[in-house]
Amino acid sequence: MIILITGGSGSGKSALAESLVPRLAAGRRIYLATMAAGDRESLQRIGRHRRQRASLGMVTAERSCDLDGLEVPEDALVLLEDVPNWLAGEMFGGGDEARMLPALRNLAGRCRHLLLVTGDVFRDGGQYDAETESYLEALAAVNREAGALADAVCEAVCGIPVMLKGKLP
Amino acid sequence: MKLYIGGAYQGQEELAGRENPGAEFFFAWHEKVRSLLEEGVDPLAYTETFCKEHPQAVVTADEVGCGLVPMEARERAFREAAGRALCCIAAHCDTVTRVSCGIGMRIK
Repeated sequence: MIILITGGSGSGKSALAESLVPRLAAGRRIYLATMAAGDRESLQRIGRHRRQRASLGMVTAERSCDLDGLEVPEDALVLLEDVPNWLAGEMFGGGDEARMLPALRNLAGRCRHLLLVTGDVFRDGGQYDAETESYLEALAAVNREAGALADAVCEAVCGIPVMLKGKLP
Repeated sequence: MKLYIGGAYQGQEELAGRENPGAEFFFAWHEKVRSLLEEGVDPLAYTETFCKEHPQAVVTADEVGCGLVPMEARERAFREAAGRALCCIAAHCDTVTRVSCGIGMRIK
């Protein structure tokens, strides 16, 4: 099953994704962390997410780009968190954004369950420089592809899943 | 407890008032979070205590998290804290209503 979870900052996307993990039968449960951490703020964020999933029996893989290089057993559940950081890794971290859509399809085909956490960052009416605009456009393209692939899509709103497509397990 | 949220000026206060005459209202909780941060108070801990002490409250707030992550650390912290505080309130609520163009959609 492929599930896409979107939402704004602090909307409870991670907690929602993690609450789904025990409901899906799988062999290995892989938490695929895509944030390239350096500063204190991202380390704090990582710490919070680590505590949230401590009891879920997940192994953590850290990879901010080139997801095709990740080894995934067929019976695995992969929780990818998150798409905006993956794109940042491909665009600004020495990767190649052109390989994202194929990598997404490959990943979806290689594991039993794929949970994707993305972000809704498209509603502030802001006008940005060309680089940022191309980031937004690319992120939206990945989100649309993920939405098309997914069996269930929901938006986290105050921690509540608002369904956009299908049903959650 | 009840929560009404929505983008700026979507009519969440008006709808909350109409649907809950005589209730104990707390409007614009996102602004409360902003002032708590300015005072150096942990907004999530404050909100948690507030929820326990006001089980009948009707709270309204703007959704502020659906834009590009701001460059400024203080603005990032505000949006994150506002979101977490609303997750906390929503967890305590019997109903959560999201308002757009004055129309409420019951999401819990």
